[in-house]
Amino acid sequence: MRPKLFLLVPAAVAAGAGATWLAAHASAGRPTEPGPYLTAMVGASLIASGLGSWRARPENPLGPAMVLTGFAWFAGLLSEATNAPLYTVGVAVEYAFVAGFVYIVLSFPSGQLRGTLDRVLVVGAVAAALGLQLLAMLFGNGRGLRCGEINGRSACPDILLQVFHDNGLALHLLKFQRALAVGLTLTALCLLALRWLRASRPQRRELTWVLLAGSATLVALAVNVVNDLVGGPLQSTPANVWFLTLALVPIAIVATFVRRRLARGSIAGLVVQLGAHTEPADLQAALSTALGDPSLEVAYWFPAEARYVTGDGRPVAVPGPDSGRRSTLVERDGTPIAMLLHDPALEHNRTLVQSVCAAAGLALDNERLHAELRARLVELTASRARLVEATDAERRRIERDLHDGTQQRLVSIAMSLGLLESKLPPDQEATVPIVHEAQLALALALEELRELTQGIHPTLLVERGLPVALEALCRRAGLPAHLKVDLDNRLSDQVETAAYYFASEALSNAAKHSHGTEVRVDVSCDGRTLTVEVADDGIGGASVGPGSGLRGLADRVEALGGRFTVSSPPGLGTRLQAEIPCA
Amino acid sequence: MRVAIGDDAVILREGLARLLHEAGFEVVGVAANAEELLALVERSEPDVAIVDIRMPPTHTDEGIRAAKAIHEKRPTTGILVLSQHVHPHYAIELLSIGTDGVGYLLKERVANLNQLSESIRRVGQGDTVLDPAVVSQLVDRRRQADNPLEHLTERELEVLALMAEGRTNKAIAERLFLSEHTIEKHIKNIFNTLRLPHSPDDHRRVLAVVTYLDSP
Repeated sequence: MRPKLFLLVPAAVAAGAGATWLAAHASAGRPTEPGPYLTAMVGASLIASGLGSWRARPENPLGPAMVLTGFAWFAGLLSEATNAPLYTVGVAVEYAFVAGFVYIVLSFPSGQLRGTLDRVLVVGAVAAALGLQLLAMLFGNGRGLRCGEINGRSACPDILLQVFHDNGLALHLLKFQRALAVGLTLTALCLLALRWLRASRPQRRELTWVLLAGSATLVALAVNVVNDLVGGPLQSTPANVWFLTLALVPIAIVATFVRRRLARGSIAGLVVQLGAHTEPADLQAALSTALGDPSLEVAYWFPAEARYVTGDGRPVAVPGPDSGRRSTLVERDGTPIAMLLHDPALEHNRTLVQSVCAAAGLALDNERLHAELRARLVELTASRARLVEATDAERRRIERDLHDGTQQRLVSIAMSLGLLESKLPPDQEATVPIVHEAQLALALALEELRELTQGIHPTLLVERGLPVALEALCRRAGLPAHLKVDLDNRLSDQVETAAYYFASEALSNAAKHSHGTEVRVDVSCDGRTLTVEVADDGIGGASVGPGSGLRGLADRVEALGGRFTVSSPPGLGTRLQAEIPCA
Repeated sequence: MRVAIGDDAVILREGLARLLHEAGFEVVGVAANAEELLALVERSEPDVAIVDIRMPPTHTDEGIRAAKAIHEKRPTTGILVLSQHVHPHYAIELLSIGTDGVGYLLKERVANLNQLSESIRRVGQGDTVLDPAVVSQLVDRRRQADNPLEHLTERELEVLALMAEGRTNKAIAERLFLSEHTIEKHIKNIFNTLRLPHSPDDHRRVLAVVTYLDSP
């Protein structure tokens, strides 16, 4: 404990002893005052809890506030004194502790008042507890203020602050003070209830006990004041309940703080869990458990993109101050690794968050690398698919250009030649063979062009679907081809195109290299996967090397997330299989 | 003989019109798409409509669809479809419209004026004209495969024989004490084994029976 705080202990003990003595020797017949036990208990609870909090969290004003409230509580007992100056001081600060208490409950756990209403309530409490009290003391004497109406005699000394003699006004002021207290109390109760309802789970874990104790105290306070206003039909019971609940508030505060500290014990469990974790979700769940925040999210730093991305590849921004979320950045050797997105409640437990981050640093860094790799893979797959798509679009365009342009012109030339031929006079024997030669060359050119365009982009596939296009393919194949298609519906363009080119390339491979006598093409679809198998009865020994036509096939199939397999044992033929997802 | 021409390429439809004019046909008009052609046919009632298979808007098989539409409106008009690729599948689709007065030719056949004139006349007279390339593709296939019926199972042969007798699926099912669903499966296998082009089942049924009756 720091020296200056340590010095407060004897002061507190002295104040407590004095107050307890005063409470024990209080004049009889004043039922609203606490007995010696409650006096000591409430004060000790406030000051001890306050000192503990002050020491643990010097930056949090709650600790000092609790200590001050404790001293104010003891000072209020001076109103039991028979000495006039002490009595005057006692009466002046008699309700100061209520103002302190309101501030403590409303500002818990940060020690900061969060809204205008909070501030209004605290200012109102100070005004009622100190302002109106002092104002009343200007007008009333001892009789009017505390002791006047009880048993018709005054047991109290004079109030030294009294300037005017108007007991009636003093009593009205005090009634107003109590009415104001009831109003403020009820407002504070509503505010606390609302705060609890709006709190997230981690926030509730922090707030519940203090809000319960605080609300109980406020209810007891209201009952007590109302009881006072209507002439005290309940005797001293509500006051004692009030004081009892009051003693519970600091205990609830300390219990909450202790529980936070205990949460750090979960770090050991976290370390064990991290040793065994496999999936990114596991790491997030482990951190979530350790921090007690089910809403916790982990985002990893991707240096290439200079942003944070979640394990499933979703980029996230650092939350702003008004977003209702908070973030903690995790760094290793000065470079960012990850960002924890969590509930604002965890801000009051920085130590726990820092410890968890330190414990999970390596695992987070690992996970970041994995996440980056996964994201790259996703991007790579997408870009592969885009490349294939772009290639197909380009092929379509070229085919269309050839059809609309070159092919039409060649056909038109052919027509002109035909016309020329028909117009030749019968005596032009020398010219006719030349025209025929040109027609023949043109026919060959057109045939080559037809083959070329068909290879570039199979229009039949687009127009009539895979089975028909494969049928045409098998009919043109270099080897006798047996086709078996078990497919009822059209599939997506990409899947059909991939399957078509696969079969086309595999058939031409078989014709060129297999030395076989026939080839089988089997196509089937189970609703999720389209399987295309091309098997020949040739010499086998094919491989998927770089530069091999099979490599291009594999690329096309894999770009769609499919699988390409080659089975080609020497002497036993070649079987190429493509499995393409088509759901 | 009166002809109408439908082709989206100006150079071709005008060239063809000139060519046919020279060859002694009366060209009643030219159209740039299927709709125009249909209107032209209804207006001018030609003997033959020559139509490019690939026209706007989709540039796929508009010619076949136009042929169907023309056949519905004016069944007596002969239809000659020109295509830059020869697909037996399209030939079969065209034949399924009706075998009278339809023709399917490679586009480049227009180079040979005599052959073209001959084809148009035959279509106009109600004959069927198929491009030699289509025929050779079908014949090639016959030659390549050994007797396809050998690949059928006993049961499938039984079913096919009953099909050849003109029985419906239901009748075949009753005869063989099988469910209609099983018969449908057998028939599907038969179509696959005989490698019949994908087309409406009625048509494949006829082809299957033809194969059966044709086999030694």
